[in-house]
Amino acid sequence: MRARIIVSTLLLATTPFAHAEATLDVGERLTACATCHGQRGEGVQGAEYSPHLAGKPAGYLFEQLRGFREGRRVSTSMTWYVRFADDAFLHRIADYYAALPPRTRSADAGASQLTDERRSKAQALVERGDATRGVLACNACHGANLAGLEPGIPALLGLPIDYVIAQFGAWREGIRHGAPPDCMRDIAERIPAEDIRAVAAYLSQQSNIDGLRPAPAGSFVPPRTCGSLPHAQEAK
Amino acid sequence: MKWLRLIGLVAVPFALLLMAIGLFLFARQGGFAPYRLPQDSGRPIAHDAATLARGEYLARIGDCEACHTAPGGSAYAGGRRFATDYGSIYSSNLTADREHGIGAWSRDEFAHAMRHGVSRRGPLYPVFPYEHFATLSDADIDAIFAYLRSVPASAHVPPDNRLTFPASWRGALVLWRMLHYRPAAPAATMDDRGRYLVDGLGHCAMCHSAREASGALAVDGYLAGGRIPGSGWYAPPLDAKQLQHYSIDQLADYLRAGVADSGTAYGPMAEVVYRSLQYLNDEDALAMARYLKSVPAHPQHDSGFVLLPEPARPSVAGNGADIYRRACADCHGKDGEGEPGRYPRLRDAVATRVPDPIDAVRMILYGGFAPTTARNPLPYSMPPFVQRLSAADIAAVTNFVRENFGGQHSSLTATDIQAMHGIVLD
Repeated sequence: MRARIIVSTLLLATTPFAHAEATLDVGERLTACATCHGQRGEGVQGAEYSPHLAGKPAGYLFEQLRGFREGRRVSTSMTWYVRFADDAFLHRIADYYAALPPRTRSADAGASQLTDERRSKAQALVERGDATRGVLACNACHGANLAGLEPGIPALLGLPIDYVIAQFGAWREGIRHGAPPDCMRDIAERIPAEDIRAVAAYLSQQSNIDGLRPAPAGSFVPPRTCGSLPHAQEAK
Repeated sequence: MKWLRLIGLVAVPFALLLMAIGLFLFARQGGFAPYRLPQDSGRPIAHDAATLARGEYLARIGDCEACHTAPGGSAYAGGRRFATDYGSIYSSNLTADREHGIGAWSRDEFAHAMRHGVSRRGPLYPVFPYEHFATLSDADIDAIFAYLRSVPASAHVPPDNRLTFPASWRGALVLWRMLHYRPAAPAATMDDRGRYLVDGLGHCAMCHSAREASGALAVDGYLAGGRIPGSGWYAPPLDAKQLQHYSIDQLADYLRAGVADSGTAYGPMAEVVYRSLQYLNDEDALAMARYLKSVPAHPQHDSGFVLLPEPARPSVAGNGADIYRRACADCHGKDGEGEPGRYPRLRDAVATRVPDPIDAVRMILYGGFAPTTARNPLPYSMPPFVQRLSAADIAAVTNFVRENFGGQHSSLTATDIQAMHGIVLD
């Protein structure tokens, strides 16, 4: 009885503190991030190389932060900010941005015009892929609406053209690594450079006007086993 | 014939004099003794839990893993790069692998390398702080060795050093040691735990002391502050005057938390706190703080920071106050008073008071996060201003902050700021 009273007193004493800890605003600690990624992770007009973060799957964001810390992704400034951050803090950062409403506007509406021919080529790659080269359609994994899939696949809407091109370059050159099997590296190696440019321009013009969030985990099954997907983890 | 005799008259005494100086210097660095590896005395290596735990703690406080682990690599397998003025040096594999690590070493051989900087590979480069580790007790060195033996073995082979001549030649190290190395009496500082940790295991003086052009620590430069070679950062002096705004408790807390009201660990110090000092036990943290605050104040030491020559020195001091009000005052307060627990105070803060402005400029250019520690698990960050302010504006606001809050004469120009551009990882 006495033990029970002590335990419940302890619980009472710790609960409000734990609660304050959980709801504490991580955002005000992230002023360094806001400079390039926006006050609420929506991206910054004029700093369009840096992608938005808001509404991306928390698992994806966490993996990227860890990648910068450990050298699987290369960005001098990102590494500078996260190199002495432990997993618990990186999870808090990832959860904070994941919970914010997704960006709705496109990154480069009209910035880089595509000819009709190149536009339809890009659209075909995004929606149907290129079977002759063994390239999957983007939307096979990133969702029919390109809004991503929890917990590891990001949306492709609203990404700056230069950012997308740079990621393909980084996969091809072995500078950006995903968890193995690294599907994006494989795909990047199979797409010719001019098609990457067209796809990046096309994607940068897509917007997420309805503010769609990534599809819930397991709501569809991507056609390939990739390191960033939970069914790949289970298969291991 | 006359010529030959003349040469003999001059050259022979000259050669003898050189030899005498050489012998004197060679004797002063310990003669042949440091180069003779000890015989294995056959002392067994402890593997009881208490020794291993103690060894792990000591290795942490010595920050061994930070230097002996490559980014993303396995612990203690070596391969981290050190940029020096003479090229790149890669740390060695300290795991128990017999071929590539130190698995075949005896305890005596390990102790010898720790104290004299000579291993079976020859003399070690002085990026390895053997001059500091020379003061460690036998028991501490043995515990560290026992712990290293318990770390999973890795066959990782660190890259070869890429050094320019003559540093690329290991024999040159003997010459370097003749000029700069003095063997220390072991365990001379055991009676003061704080000093033992600061000077020995903690090797604080590696960064916080003034250096000569050769890279050797200056004779009067002990904890006097100085630029850290290869890092682009300045380590402030550590003494009673520099630390006057910290109480012993506050300083002990700063060492483990990485933040205090009037200072935050950034750059190389953030790493030291993150990987090493946050694990200090109460007693050791207090001992270090007590000792650091007892170091006699240094005269204002010349950091070697040289302003770039004229011209290009437009007057920028005038708008520093405006820029401060617009860009900084929201967090750091209109009088630089900061906000305890969130934003560091700038008035009388170490980075505003030290003679070298480079840390303040780096923080304004690139910002950064304090390290995460058990005492500060969710750190605040400083935003970068490199995209938002011109080099002239950054010069003006740095001058304003240093003159108004640090009492430092400061006349940086845009050209000075441009010379400090660039994030240095390693």
